[in-house]
Amino acid sequence: MAYPQTELVATPQRGGRGLARLLRNLGRNGKAIAGIAILLLFIAGALLAPVLFPDDPSRIVGGGAAPPNAEHLLGTTARGQDVLALTLWGARSSLFVGFAAGLLATLVAVLVGLAGAYFGGVLDDILSLATNVFLLIPGLPLLVILAAFMPPGVGTVIIVLVITGWAGGARILRSQGMSIRGKDYVAASIVTGERPLRIMLRDILPNMASIVMMTLLGCIIGSIGAQAGLEFLGLGDSNTISWGTNLFWATSDGSLMLGQWWIFVPSGLAIALVAFALALCNYAVDEITNPRLRKPRRAANAAAPTRVTADDAEEGVA
Amino acid sequence: MRFILRRLGFYLVAFWLSITLNFLLPRLMPGDPVSRMLSRSQGQLDPSQIESLRQLLGVDDRPWWQQYPEYLWRVLTGDLGISISRFPTPVAEVISSQLPWTLLLGFVSLIIAVVIGNLLGILAAWRRGSFLDSFVPPFLIFLGSFPYFWLAMGLLYVFGITLGWAPLSHAYSVGLQPSFSFEFIADVAAHLVLPALSIVLVSIGGWMLAMRNTMIATNSEDYILMAEAKGLRPSRIMFAYSARNAMLPAVTNVGMSIGFIVGGALLTEVVFAYPGVGYQLMAAVQGLDYPLMQGMFLTITGAVLLANFLIDIIYVRLDPRVRAH
Amino acid sequence: MISNRNRVRRFAGSLLAAAAATALLLSGCSADTTGDPGASGALLTVPREDMGTFNRNFNPFSPNAAPMTQQAVYESMLVYNPADGSTTPWLAESWESSEDGKTVTFHLRDGVTWSDGEPFTAQDVATTFALQQKIVEGSFPYVEKVAAADETTVVFSLSEPFSPGLYEIGQQVIVPDHVWADQESPDTFENKEPVGTGPYTEVTNFQTQSFDLLPNPHYWQKDKQKLPGVRMLAFAGNDGANLAAINGDVDWAPQFMPDIETTFVDRDPEHRHYWFPPTGSMVNWQLNTTTEMFKDPEVRKALSLAIDREQVVEVGMSGYTEAADCTGLSGSYSAWKDESLIGACEWIGYDPDKAGEMLDAAGYELGTDGTRTTPEGEPFAFDISVGSTSTDWLSVANIISQNLADIGVTATVDAPDWAAVTAGYEQGDFDTGIVWSDNAPTPYQYYRSLMSSETLKPVGEQTFSNYHRFSEPKADELLDQFSASSDEATQHDIVDQLQELYLEAAPVVPLFPGPEWGAYTDVRFTGWPTEDDPYATLSTRSPTTVLVLTSLEPAA
Repeated sequence: MAYPQTELVATPQRGGRGLARLLRNLGRNGKAIAGIAILLLFIAGALLAPVLFPDDPSRIVGGGAAPPNAEHLLGTTARGQDVLALTLWGARSSLFVGFAAGLLATLVAVLVGLAGAYFGGVLDDILSLATNVFLLIPGLPLLVILAAFMPPGVGTVIIVLVITGWAGGARILRSQGMSIRGKDYVAASIVTGERPLRIMLRDILPNMASIVMMTLLGCIIGSIGAQAGLEFLGLGDSNTISWGTNLFWATSDGSLMLGQWWIFVPSGLAIALVAFALALCNYAVDEITNPRLRKPRRAANAAAPTRVTADDAEEGVA
Repeated sequence: MRFILRRLGFYLVAFWLSITLNFLLPRLMPGDPVSRMLSRSQGQLDPSQIESLRQLLGVDDRPWWQQYPEYLWRVLTGDLGISISRFPTPVAEVISSQLPWTLLLGFVSLIIAVVIGNLLGILAAWRRGSFLDSFVPPFLIFLGSFPYFWLAMGLLYVFGITLGWAPLSHAYSVGLQPSFSFEFIADVAAHLVLPALSIVLVSIGGWMLAMRNTMIATNSEDYILMAEAKGLRPSRIMFAYSARNAMLPAVTNVGMSIGFIVGGALLTEVVFAYPGVGYQLMAAVQGLDYPLMQGMFLTITGAVLLANFLIDIIYVRLDPRVRAH
Repeated sequence: MISNRNRVRRFAGSLLAAAAATALLLSGCSADTTGDPGASGALLTVPREDMGTFNRNFNPFSPNAAPMTQQAVYESMLVYNPADGSTTPWLAESWESSEDGKTVTFHLRDGVTWSDGEPFTAQDVATTFALQQKIVEGSFPYVEKVAAADETTVVFSLSEPFSPGLYEIGQQVIVPDHVWADQESPDTFENKEPVGTGPYTEVTNFQTQSFDLLPNPHYWQKDKQKLPGVRMLAFAGNDGANLAAINGDVDWAPQFMPDIETTFVDRDPEHRHYWFPPTGSMVNWQLNTTTEMFKDPEVRKALSLAIDREQVVEVGMSGYTEAADCTGLSGSYSAWKDESLIGACEWIGYDPDKAGEMLDAAGYELGTDGTRTTPEGEPFAFDISVGSTSTDWLSVANIISQNLADIGVTATVDAPDWAAVTAGYEQGDFDTGIVWSDNAPTPYQYYRSLMSSETLKPVGEQTFSNYHRFSEPKADELLDQFSASSDEATQHDIVDQLQELYLEAAPVVPLFPGPEWGAYTDVRFTGWPTEDDPYATLSTRSPTTVLVLTSLEPAA
């Protein structure tokens, strides 16, 4: 996971209101709006790809690499393929795999982290051990090995990404879960005999909403990056068109050395923008849940210390 | 003390599990190293020699549960075997010739990123709302969103090829004899610029943001208010009080990063032909060089564990509260 | 109170200034970049693009020794040049085989010395072969005994006549008896200070990223030893090596370069040249003949006609090679090609209409949706396997797939790592694949791996040859005749027959001869082999490399 986590103060909310509040506040946050806008743009592009470029963009034609011109807005590759088409079509696979792998990895991380935090004892020790072992195994070789012996395909890439990506989130979620578990209201629920699953889902999880959200965003960013890396090394599925495979072909054709920047730049930029958009959302979630992180009304005067005033606190965080 | 012992015991178990997985996983890969070599040679190697080449290179055909105890024993006695892809060079020699460069690149990049990133984070937290706080973190995060191989190649192209400001490849100019002379060290440093820069650019945003956020949280603590009330200089408060406490999570993160340095910034090394462990790792995996793979995994796992353990010790010293638990 | 804003600013400012100063200082002080050839005469600089780092291991019996071990340090008795079909006597002056073909005698050159001053004798040859057979069992299986008849004569006793063996024996590099005979474990001997007969044997300045080979003080061809030395550079991939070549940091560039005219040659057209003789191993599209749908030779021939080899070669292989000709043989066998067959291409060419007709006739009808079905009613669909890291072959597979789709055949490209692909080939667990083939001085091994029952193994049993699992009894006969005969005319006649047989049986679909990559710049060294003067290929890993090393000289 690329995005570092910070200590957060979890606020005791019951039920799902915490999540709804969070989402509502996101809608008011400038960074979140910017991030979501960028994401929507890419998703729209991905969905529109078959409409704008109905032919198979990977069809090898003669013609060679041409810089951006009227017919091909982003130029063509060494095999005569339209770069804009490849980029838009590539968005489909990259976004799909990134989101799917990110979601699944977060799901696994939540399950493992929460179970370990709640049940404690032997189960916690085992789960922690598993988490740490997965954190210890070198990621890239594991990726290479898994990718090598599983049949190439989108499913494999997703599975591989999930296996290498869940551990980071699990660790954080577990420590957060443990701190919440120690709270009084959880103890109260246990004493009144609520079932463990209910406690986990109603008491603990909603209060971790922001951390889960941040883990999710972090996992998605990580998955998109890892997928690009895998494909760049030639270990992905060469039949799919994605940003990573576009870059793979770009380097094997020596595009950068030949100065054919139009082949090399779009896919890399796309990855960066999507990752950045997600990071902005992450940033926003962080700000909302931790009001001190919000931009102060006035820039701080060096002589005056940083202050949290009543102006800065907004409703939504009790 | 008990804390340390518990952690130690835990790490030993994790170590054993990891090396077992490191042993099993490559053997699940299809194919065997010699036929891999055959396909690489594209017709130059004689197929009738395959069987004996296998024997020569020490490719083991016994089922894995027979190989495993021997493997464990070798790990414990430090016998890493002989590499297949570089036969007959021993694995230890292969790794030790490459490891120093990976460590150099990794540590230099890490230190620069950590120091500058954290400094920027501290300054940003102190000057809330300023340019440094509002625009620099998002910009650095944006930089860090680029796939780092992309950034590496971009830097190589712009600064190496087009502008010619930095050397294009290798760790030092060819023909120079390594020594501790100023000339050699300066040459190494010049060759480090681009590779380290690409790693730093990608990671610095994360460090800055983390430090900034932690600092902000720390700044709101009562004892900071108390220090201000007492009239201490802001810079003293900033460094001696806030930063000191905000450093703790950073220390943990550094620990985790140290371990992964040994895995090698694979793609950076490939792009810059830096003679480190990273590229070799991938080549070993793709060439099914089991002994070399195992040796490298072992090294990486050991390094990660060692780093984590050291960090735990340091953490205990830095944060007395942990001891109380 | 001093304004703290200023304090912080000054602090930050001084940090920045210090950093900038250090950077400038270091870059200014760094030794010149790799462009500098060095004070005492430029060394021939050669890149190695697949090793990343070097290890000091010069054991020639290891398939993974340091580069130039078998080319500059050690030599063999003769050198066969596939580019023009000639054979150059090297450590041996002449050789002959007996009437019955079971004895081969080599007459060694007089006056050759090892790099440590000891004389080179027939005993060295005998010891070398004994070692080779011991270290890698199964080497030279037809050689029963090697004896030194006198100081300069070696006699090989074969268990059966095997004429192709002459070249195999002749191209084995020879090691010194006085160093190796007493080695306890010659297989794991790293040989860090090699003693050889070759032109550049003195290992100096060995680093992980480069090493130098300086001239052999006792070389037997002093007049052909004109270089100050050879320097090898390690790179982790083609990109790094290509960059060095483009920059002029290396003299020889034997690796794949995309768009070589624009990237490499155009920077210095006066000095930079390239030549890719089609003498590499033949690249074939192998169809697994144990699968029902590929059993009919007419189907194989039809599929062959559906492939636009021009596009394959121009776009997939960047125009670096040529399409297979009607003999299906690589350029390395140009001396063996039957001229009469070259014009008569029955099924090696591009004719999608005819392909469609042939498939119709064989029962693979075209359906209304544009795809074909087999006579059993199954969709005519299969995979094409290729390793993901060979991007040129991957493009080739993609083009083939497109070509086949045009005539209604569904071919899906399956590109995992080469390890998985090769494992599939070996077990016979694949549909079709792009595969290399054997490349030796005579076509014997090639045809043996294509059609001989000796190489045939059933599906599920591992094999390293004849992946497509095809055999033709007539081929066995012809091959036996070939190996028994040492008369050139007879051999050529037999190979003609083999070519005819090949065209009849269509065991594989030939695509193109693998190009031998080679580019160079003659800014510092001249005397390179070219298309007009093909005295060797431009490969750095073949037996002909030593011919280049002994022909180059510093530019005037």
